[in-house]
Amino acid sequence: MSLKDKVSPEEWQTRVDLAAAYRLCEQYDMTDLTGTHLSARVPGEPDNFLLNPYGMYFEEVTATSLIKLTLDGDIIEDPLELGVNAAGYTIHSAVLAGRADINCVMHTHTRAGIAVSSMECGLLPMTQHSMHFFNAISYHDYEGVAVNLDEREMLQRDLGPVNMALMLKNHGLLTAGLSVSDAFYKLMRLEKSCQAQVDAMSTGGELHLVPEAVSAHTNNQFKNRGTELGDRGWPGHLRRLDKVDPSYAH
Amino acid sequence: MAAVASAHPDDVLSIREQVSEEEWETRVNLAACYRLVDHYDMSDLLGTHISARVPGEENTFLLNPYGMYFDEITASSLIKVDYDGNVLTETPFDLNLAGFTIHSAVLMGRPDVDCALHTHTRAGMAVSALKCGLLPMSQHSARFIDRTGYHDYEGVANDHEERERLQRDLGDNLALILRNHGLLTCGYNIGHAFWLIYKLERACQAQVDGMAAGTKVIEIDASVQESSKELFEKRRTAGGDLGWPGHLRRLDRMDPSYKE
Repeated sequence: MSLKDKVSPEEWQTRVDLAAAYRLCEQYDMTDLTGTHLSARVPGEPDNFLLNPYGMYFEEVTATSLIKLTLDGDIIEDPLELGVNAAGYTIHSAVLAGRADINCVMHTHTRAGIAVSSMECGLLPMTQHSMHFFNAISYHDYEGVAVNLDEREMLQRDLGPVNMALMLKNHGLLTAGLSVSDAFYKLMRLEKSCQAQVDAMSTGGELHLVPEAVSAHTNNQFKNRGTELGDRGWPGHLRRLDKVDPSYAH
Repeated sequence: MAAVASAHPDDVLSIREQVSEEEWETRVNLAACYRLVDHYDMSDLLGTHISARVPGEENTFLLNPYGMYFDEITASSLIKVDYDGNVLTETPFDLNLAGFTIHSAVLMGRPDVDCALHTHTRAGMAVSALKCGLLPMSQHSARFIDRTGYHDYEGVANDHEERERLQRDLGDNLALILRNHGLLTCGYNIGHAFWLIYKLERACQAQVDGMAAGTKVIEIDASVQESSKELFEKRRTAGGDLGWPGHLRRLDRMDPSYKE
């Protein structure tokens, strides 16, 4: 019996979407070997979530190979017996346990993301892309590799009750979403915000930033669209993956 | 998932037999332009848009179906819309409202151009956020100096009143830097607009790299800038016209489905 027949249709759909997100991170050059992780809460099982098997590259991840575990760290399903990354467990269980509204968490170590995460100024209101995060991104100080479970409280405190993005200082980016597509859309926007910021600042030229009132107005425009932007883009992302390699859905 | 996501490119039927030959040719060229923008790494997911006036019609233009990625766009999938925002093509997809605002502004305000092209590239956004704007530091940028407008950021362009300010800021130029946002070019035809965005993009990339080196940048002498401008004006669409058939040959080798 395949895993697809064993789990609820909702869990299977989430597995397919999450596996697709791993493949898309690879497509858009946001992977870092076997480092970093994306997670999703299992629908109807608020205390259980899915995480990548440690050692698989993102381009190899499939719906079936994702590990199901509880927020307390008990493994429920691990078909390849690879186990999870300890730091991944710390970070993702922290966010999912601390925020009942969040169903998906994505974390990357990209060149531009790490660069901005190490700047004292943080993310600047410099582009339309960055308006998604105006007064809506949190910062978390680096404490070393996140294998200490005590860090979860600090992660929850720093993310706070509302924001859907967290800059892990000296480390990388994290976005959260109501769904996989929502978190992925935010990740792509945050990544490109960082790329443009690095390019603009590297010139040494004086920056023209978006005035505060316009930033607040635009952030509100994006907030009012809810998950529309992520939803609209997702089917096309899947079509792209289906053309390249549809094995993510197995 | 929300209803916005229900449309599929397979639901787009060929409309080749339903439109004039001139409109079909424009559709094929515009679809090719979307594919080329993606090929040259200037696309941004579902954001940004390219428009073209429908030949022989007064108030209509073509815009992308909101939900298809640039590498998926076909001639039949492009949506015909009038300046009042009425959709005139049967389509399972929505129209991008910000796209409508920006492109209707340019095409209404500038009867001399037939195509407008907007991008959110990394280097384009970076230069758009620099107070100095585009510098005359390369042959690529020379054609744009004193011929580029600047438009302050106002938020996502859903407000039709922004059209007046876009028209004012574009003036009679062929390029507009949307501050804190991205780039826009317009052309006498589709190949011309593509050629200009390619040159403007490369100018921004070189400016970012040149300035990032931290050494003093040489600006092109004003008299040389002036003579270059004259040459570019004389040649008008030459660069675009010369390059376009080769662009189509490249697309035909890679994936000719843009012509569907």
